[in-house]
Amino acid sequence: MKIRSDIVRMYRDIHSWVGIVCGLALFIAFYAGAITMFEAPLKRWASPPMHVTEHTPLERTPELVEKVLMEYPKAALNYDITLAPDLERPARMSWNSGPRGSGTTYYAELAQDGSLLVHSEGPSAVGQLVDDLHRQIGILVDHDIAMPIMGIISFLYFIALVSGVIVLLPTLVKDLFILRIGKNLKRMWLDFHNALGLFSLPFHIIMALTAVVFAFHDQFYDAQGALLAKNDRIAMEEHAELHRNQVPLNPQQIVARLKEQSPDFEPVYINYHYEEDHGVEMRVAGSNPRYGMRGATFGFAGVDAYTGDLTMTGYMPGEQDGWFATVTSFFALHFGNFGGNPVRWAYFLLGLAGAVLFYTGNLLWIETHRKKRRKGYEYLDVQQTRASKILGALTVGISLGCIAGISSTIAAAKVLPQWTDAVGAWHTGIYYAVFFLFSAWAFIRGAARGAVELLCASAIATLLIPLVSLFSAFLPGFGWNHGGSSYLIDIVAVIGAGSLALLARKTLQRIHRAPEYSIWYVGTDESAQSAGATEPETDAVNVASSPT
Amino acid sequence: MSAKLPKAQQLSSANWFGKASAGVIAGFMLTLAICGLLAHFGPLDVGYFSAQSQISMWLMSPVWGLIMSFCFLFRNGVHAWAWLGSGNAVLWGLLLGSQYLVGQGG
Repeated sequence: MKIRSDIVRMYRDIHSWVGIVCGLALFIAFYAGAITMFEAPLKRWASPPMHVTEHTPLERTPELVEKVLMEYPKAALNYDITLAPDLERPARMSWNSGPRGSGTTYYAELAQDGSLLVHSEGPSAVGQLVDDLHRQIGILVDHDIAMPIMGIISFLYFIALVSGVIVLLPTLVKDLFILRIGKNLKRMWLDFHNALGLFSLPFHIIMALTAVVFAFHDQFYDAQGALLAKNDRIAMEEHAELHRNQVPLNPQQIVARLKEQSPDFEPVYINYHYEEDHGVEMRVAGSNPRYGMRGATFGFAGVDAYTGDLTMTGYMPGEQDGWFATVTSFFALHFGNFGGNPVRWAYFLLGLAGAVLFYTGNLLWIETHRKKRRKGYEYLDVQQTRASKILGALTVGISLGCIAGISSTIAAAKVLPQWTDAVGAWHTGIYYAVFFLFSAWAFIRGAARGAVELLCASAIATLLIPLVSLFSAFLPGFGWNHGGSSYLIDIVAVIGAGSLALLARKTLQRIHRAPEYSIWYVGTDESAQSAGATEPETDAVNVASSPT
Repeated sequence: MSAKLPKAQQLSSANWFGKASAGVIAGFMLTLAICGLLAHFGPLDVGYFSAQSQISMWLMSPVWGLIMSFCFLFRNGVHAWAWLGSGNAVLWGLLLGSQYLVGQGG
């Protein structure tokens, strides 16, 4: 395909500047996002054994609810009944003391003798931390500040995707299936970057566009509501009729009524929500293996608490009309919650590949930056600039800091509960301590030396994950192992640590062979400037700027 | 940013600010108008929480993103503002005009 060379050149500039602005934030979002694909096994791996293992029988739930509401009347506003308690939802009844889940979550069971057992030991906070890092691109400030930043980054990311494709189009047929591994390392990285970007393009377009909406949906709704809304509409939300003096159905009856109406829907928990003007509102969260879901792991059905009739099926997997199924597909495509484990693994790998895409993009920027400065001054030996050195250190420090920070805070999950009550704060603290330590180290040591040392450190941090599991198995009173799919975390961590160690080895070889002008060169600055050697890779100069 | 680039490349991406600002502001208004037209004449909706109005909201992201991505093809910022601005005038005129007429008829 022919595109005017000035257009290609312009979009190459746009691609590199936009890419450099959002690349590192996207690295964090993609790396953490890849890990959230295994949030369920991770939560199981990281959560302490359940406080109470004997759960209240489902048929005694009304008694449990009655006793909780006597002691905690505020819980009546909003509480959940979990149908099959597990490590993620560790009790029959749970509620949160603050508005919109901002307070402490309490868990309640009935003891054998009918007395009430209430505790607040929920699943490990580390799963939520990884999810927050993913959603707020590693900036754990107030949600209202982080989300617009994330939205702008996602918007730039979409522009980077379009401009990247435009730059690639003229040489698409020639370049697509080629990976030129050879002396010209920039060419190889560019081929790799192109192939990775193009083959995962649909995934990236989905992520960019959905992330923009996740960040800005309030603003979009407000703008449309203010400028486009037709005023003669009435609110469509359906509410169950008011059933005064009637008793809501018990959970077993609700489950039975759902089974009648939607046999494939697998309910997980029932949410009771009290509204002043229309009594108890009920939402049942669950999944249907044949359909994608609106939430990350659940869809929702609105149910009449008194009759068990479905009142709202717009977010209920398997019972949606075409319009709602379309809306749900946008969410499902982002969350990868369709198609079961194969899709989860595919999203995991695509997420990691995305992180690699941004990493290689930054390296290409550094190299192109040097070559552009060299144009017209070929007789001079152009060294890396300060900007390139800073970007190199940032790329190495932030990427590896994110990897090692997440690994160490996950590994800490099996240790922290024995030492402290503020587990959540410690998880966040450990992540940031490692993250900033790594970033600082990369600046002090430079990109090249820093990369080798930090890759080794990342490998060790990741190896801590299976090590704490191993200690838990042999040291009495230390940690726990739940078995089953939670071993997946240990296995993936071993593979990850191995890959990082391998990369460390390769980088070590590279920095000792790298030419002087390279960002990976480890010689001192003085000797590099005085050497004045001619550049060995002269043929590489025009590669990036000639589209044909 | 452009000071560091060689002169030959400044011609194309140097005047990015005018184009980008047109893409952000005029592009956003144009996107709103397109969503409004699809809601008014097409199957979509705005203003209340139906699936159709959710799709209108979702449509903001790809439409605005595409305008933003291709606004750099205008020769300069003035062109970008002129074209996107007149696009706005036409679409908003159509939208507001038809609402007014429908309002009169109904």
